[in-house]
Amino acid sequence: MSTQTYEAETFRKLQPQEYLRKFLLKEVRPDGRELKQFRQTTVNLGCISTTNGSSLVRVGNTTVVCGIKAEVSIPRQTSIKEGYLVPNVELSPMCSPKFKPGPPSEHAQVLNLNTLCIHEGAAVWVLYADIVCVNYDGNVFDACVIGLITALSNVKLPKATFIEEEGLVKATEELLIPLNLSRLPYPATFSIFDGGHRQYFLVDPTEVEESVAHEVITIICDEAGQICTVWKVGGISCTPKHLKKCISIARERYAEIAAIVENEEKSNQIK
Amino acid sequence: MSRQELIGPQGLRQDGRRASELRKIKCTPSVLSQSDGSSYIEQGNTKCLAAVYGPREARQKAQILHNKALITVEISLAPFSMSERKKRKKFDKRLLEIASAVKQTFEPIIMTNLFPRSQIDIFLQILQYDGGMIQICINAATLALIDAGIPMLEYVCACSAGIVEDTTILELLGTPELTVALLPQSQKVTLLQLETRLHVDKLEPVMKMAIEGAKDIYKHLDKISRNYIEDLLQKSNPHPPI
Repeated sequence: MSTQTYEAETFRKLQPQEYLRKFLLKEVRPDGRELKQFRQTTVNLGCISTTNGSSLVRVGNTTVVCGIKAEVSIPRQTSIKEGYLVPNVELSPMCSPKFKPGPPSEHAQVLNLNTLCIHEGAAVWVLYADIVCVNYDGNVFDACVIGLITALSNVKLPKATFIEEEGLVKATEELLIPLNLSRLPYPATFSIFDGGHRQYFLVDPTEVEESVAHEVITIICDEAGQICTVWKVGGISCTPKHLKKCISIARERYAEIAAIVENEEKSNQIK
Repeated sequence: MSRQELIGPQGLRQDGRRASELRKIKCTPSVLSQSDGSSYIEQGNTKCLAAVYGPREARQKAQILHNKALITVEISLAPFSMSERKKRKKFDKRLLEIASAVKQTFEPIIMTNLFPRSQIDIFLQILQYDGGMIQICINAATLALIDAGIPMLEYVCACSAGIVEDTTILELLGTPELTVALLPQSQKVTLLQLETRLHVDKLEPVMKMAIEGAKDIYKHLDKISRNYIEDLLQKSNPHPPI
């Protein structure tokens, strides 16, 4: 009986789960991070001038561009006093060799979660948020949500008045008011990998880790430390203790992201 | 702005350029990690991202060519890229037409006979659009193909020009607009597109202007590519043998 020795890359392709397990046994991940470590996140505001608000978010290599355009429209039947947000995500074959051209995959539909709380004027604004994923290296949901929130905080709308007689809305370009967001939720995503004797919770998974994960949990919390959303859809079960740990990590991550965004806004104002 | 005011009293246009001045170009190769080659180009206010995958296994068995590689080009215009938000379907006729023009431009330039039965995909994403789509797509694709290491005969650089009352203007971005894609080293024109009326006598000066513009863009792209490769070489081999 012969034993074969493989090069690391070949081993990764042939046995991705074993490959990951070997790293996790030493409490480290294939890209050198610790289990609880997030990848470097950068946010760039106001990069697309044809939009009302835009942002470019990079979480490690995953890159997402979010552009928001505002239009005026009649309000929806269910909520007359509020405007609404129409999110749209594009995951094209450009961002990863795994996506084939064609109609949007189920991945893109799931990413259309709207967890925001905005109040808009009586002349209803509709915000079309288009998120384009440019490079997919895992954890695109986090990048999309951060992109959406930062782009929204970057939006400046012209002051609009509704003229009854003409039934028209007039907006002045000169007076631009920033959007008033009552909450700023930021996400943290974890992937659960069953390593046999214990479950490993990997924070901010890369594409390699996501493809062998048994489950992916996302927790979104806001500045008051309250939880907006927990997204865990079957897959594998975990104890409440683990979930609590995830929530406390999500809170720490919130502070991290908030600091990055604040730095970016300050440097933007200096420009 | 009326046609007379297109060039103001000091010889400057609306955006501060002179008649034969190109828009400001910023380009960076290798910006994406997942693709084999990528590039990001800004020409004025138009921003384009290009990603090249390949040569890789052909996706559709029916389209495999036995003696060379298949090239596919896909252009996507982000809904927020223009001043009016428009969600464009992937199969928008205009985009398909431009993609087909780009594909036909690169087919004789890429050495496809070296990779039979495989596929090279070029994806172009326009993030912000302010005129000059074909030219930025071709320039972005050239840089991305170089970054991917796909063998090509030479660079392809594109530029457009127009004419207003006997003054030829580089990158007019209005009508009439003549777009030229040039092979700068062999001095050959590989793409020529004009979709509006232009007097026959004015064709030559406009073409000359566009060719000059393409040569300038070539110098720029070449400088960036060489700097990038030198940088890479230095990083991978900090102590070369003397």
